[in-house]
Amino acid sequence: MIIAVYLPLLLALPLAVAARRIAAHGAPSVAARGLVAAALVAAASSTWSLTLLALTLLDDLPPLSALDNHPTLELPEPVPGVVALAAAILWIWGASRLGKDLRHRFDTHRRLRAVGSPNAGFVVADLPSPLAVAVPGRPGHLLVTTGMLRLLDDDERRVVFAHERAHLAHRHDRLVAWASAAAAVNPLLARVRDTVTYLVERWADEDAAAAVTDRNLVARAVARAALATTGPGPAAVLGIHSGVAVLRVQALAEPAPTPQRRRLLGPILLSASFLAATTVATVEFVVLAQAWL
Amino acid sequence: MGENERRRAPGTLESEVMGVLWARAQPLTAADVQQALGGDLAYNTVQTILIRLHEKNLLSRDRVGRGHVYWPVQDAATAAAAQMQAALGDRPDRQAVLQQFAATLDDADAATLRRLLSAAQRRPKP
Repeated sequence: MIIAVYLPLLLALPLAVAARRIAAHGAPSVAARGLVAAALVAAASSTWSLTLLALTLLDDLPPLSALDNHPTLELPEPVPGVVALAAAILWIWGASRLGKDLRHRFDTHRRLRAVGSPNAGFVVADLPSPLAVAVPGRPGHLLVTTGMLRLLDDDERRVVFAHERAHLAHRHDRLVAWASAAAAVNPLLARVRDTVTYLVERWADEDAAAAVTDRNLVARAVARAALATTGPGPAAVLGIHSGVAVLRVQALAEPAPTPQRRRLLGPILLSASFLAATTVATVEFVVLAQAWL
Repeated sequence: MGENERRRAPGTLESEVMGVLWARAQPLTAADVQQALGGDLAYNTVQTILIRLHEKNLLSRDRVGRGHVYWPVQDAATAAAAQMQAALGDRPDRQAVLQQFAATLDDADAATLRRLLSAAQRRPKP
């Protein structure tokens, strides 16, 4: 338990660095699914590492010390007490962040479903600010403000409907929720979460472009809707969405991307190394536990 | 049935018709709606959807000449607006959770988008 147990804690970094490169090429659907899967493996294995490190604290608990038949016997203790304590604190911190993330998501979706019962597949809210959101659920529906409906022309409105329906049809809320949960337990994955959020928007744009058979029209709708919401809004303050609309419009000026599965080689290799390191660490921990007992 | 009509997913027509009626500030005839939807839908299809939406209490209508004019029922949308403001207003970070069509921009992004938009509008339609 010297090296292997620490590796999963660090391996999230190369994944975060590679995320943008993976997102920049090929079909957004492939990249989004691949990144979410890799993020989940990364989050699970780093959490497991923290668990193993924290469990070594048990050795120092008074009840277990009392059970020790040979108090004078020198036991192997490859994890310094400070490190084990830090791991325990990080574990608890991650768990509380995860709880907060899930509560926040659940609460927001519940409130949005309460806005109105969908008729004709969507709910209209008579508000001047342009907003269109996909409200997940079974089957899920669209929530659109009159501001958005009046802002766009007839063709652009079809883009918005097709875009939001793509979110519902492919359950993008789940992909984003998984990525967000992974980033909650391992903050090093925050960039992966943001990339997945961007990729599902790209994915829905591509679906919309296929539905209206006009990439230019989708680009126009995205640009006009984004410009209408200009200003120091909450998203700009968070710094998450900044530049996303620009990237989306630029991507729509390119030809439709084709799936490039070889782009997933990086995430697959990284995930495999997470799992290998985790396995080695677990075996080492079992050996250690047997020595203690 | 036109090619575009076949491409539409089930249920999408109703929301597209509602979208048109909400976007216009005035009552529309079935022919107006048909034209707004791109003219690729049969008149009877549009007519059927309008009648169905009227029966669902989503549209009001008045007889004009030999046909009807339709406009959206306001009540539900007003109630929804209040609910939506309550849902999103108190917590700005809620927006980060949503799959919304377009998020807010900073000034530099807005300038870039305006440039892209005018470039796209100059380009001929493919």
